[in-house]
Amino acid sequence: MAGNTLSRIDDTLLVREAQRGNRAAFEELVRQYDHAVLRLALHLTGSEQDAQDIYQEAFLKAYKNVANFRFECSFYTWIYRIVTNLCLDHLRRRRVRKEDAPVGRDSEGGEFDLLDQTPDRRPGASPERDLLRRELGARINGALDRLTPRERMVFELKHYHGLKLRTVGEMLNTTEETAKNTLFRATQRLRGALADMR
Amino acid sequence: MKCEWVRQNVILYLYEELADDSRYEFEQHVARCAGCAAEVESGREFQQALAAAPVVQPTPNLLTAARMRLQEALETTEQGGFWQRFVFDPGAWLRQIRFSPALAMVLVMVGFGGGVGAMYFMHGQAEPTLGSSGGLPPDQASISGIRSVTKDPSSDRVSIQYDTVTSHREEGAVSDQRIQQLLLFAARNNYNSGVRVDSIDLLTLQPNDVRVREALVYALRYDNNPGVRLKALEGLGSYVKDDVRVRNAVLDALLNDGNPGVRVQALHLLEPVKADGSVRVVLQRLAESDQSQFIRTQARSALAQLPEID
Repeated sequence: MAGNTLSRIDDTLLVREAQRGNRAAFEELVRQYDHAVLRLALHLTGSEQDAQDIYQEAFLKAYKNVANFRFECSFYTWIYRIVTNLCLDHLRRRRVRKEDAPVGRDSEGGEFDLLDQTPDRRPGASPERDLLRRELGARINGALDRLTPRERMVFELKHYHGLKLRTVGEMLNTTEETAKNTLFRATQRLRGALADMR
Repeated sequence: MKCEWVRQNVILYLYEELADDSRYEFEQHVARCAGCAAEVESGREFQQALAAAPVVQPTPNLLTAARMRLQEALETTEQGGFWQRFVFDPGAWLRQIRFSPALAMVLVMVGFGGGVGAMYFMHGQAEPTLGSSGGLPPDQASISGIRSVTKDPSSDRVSIQYDTVTSHREEGAVSDQRIQQLLLFAARNNYNSGVRVDSIDLLTLQPNDVRVREALVYALRYDNNPGVRLKALEGLGSYVKDDVRVRNAVLDALLNDGNPGVRVQALHLLEPVKADGSVRVVLQRLAESDQSQFIRTQARSALAQLPEID
């Protein structure tokens, strides 16, 4: 606990230093948020390479524009806003390319990504459990992929990252009310797509 | 009607997004209505089902690779400065002015005042003063770099050579406001680590000044030269006991500094406050798992001298 207290360095101070051109301070800010950023990008893109590209572009953008950061929101919200915009662009591009993606169809006609079908080679993984896990995972990912990029993003930030909808609204430049409606729509669609799973 | 409202808000309830009063109303209704209770249960089951596809955590390798790639790119990337706003985004300014008549008025007044000031300056100044000593305090924004800091060994006089558009020299006592200002500037901004060491060294003579202490903490945390960090530690030594910010900075150095010498020095500085809770926790962590055997041994011996806590 004391370790956490020690490593909690004031963001404002670090941002001010970064604005003065101190790269070490900026790198400290990167270290505070980069795990969460990479995790978000990785889950949304499903690709390590794409996640790394988004990570790189987001922090470079932040570095170039940190002088313009005016403390109207927290640095955390600001960096997430950059990342979510990049991820939204990525999801939109992917939707356009979707027809070229290597997809298969399950017994009920639902699409799944063939790339998700690689076997789990970790020691201790039983073939049956592995198969079930992959089937469920593929169906959930398929259902998530069929959401609109904005629905996907709101659902991702709320369900997997536990952010408050008010913060999600701030990040996506919209109101809390709109974020609530989007979450409602996303959940309804997911429940419809995965109705037989429960 | 009530059931409809509850069903529309099941998701918000499960994600803890309902306001307290609505939440109370919601729970009161669900306790009495079997249909709505089933709806809540179904929503909960759906959330649990999603756990079959958990979020993949980035592996340490991926995180390290991403960090290294970013660090490499940062080497060759320049920050957009203050002027970028004016140069690249005049639209934002126009928008601000449109929505803020007061700001527009201030800008007009500043422009008018600036014009009058410039006229006064052009007429009022007989000739430019270059290489002045003892003039106005230097404006930090106009300093492009500090060339050298030299102290006269026989007195408390200091000589600082710095560049604006041209080179300047400033001389005075260490306690002199202008000298202090230049030293603080040099401690944070100079590319020459020798100048930073000299500046920090002189600043440690006035550690009671809050700005000086901040500069020392800053140097300890962020300076990339271990010599400068050691000097800063030296200056902060007497404040470890009373100033929590200083103590935290020293603890951070002890835990995270990349230089063993700085860490050992930090460990020695914490000797008088080793019974403090946060210090004790850090010592325990170091004693158990620090990579350096010397630090592990020192931490163990410091802990051994402390009374047990139940």
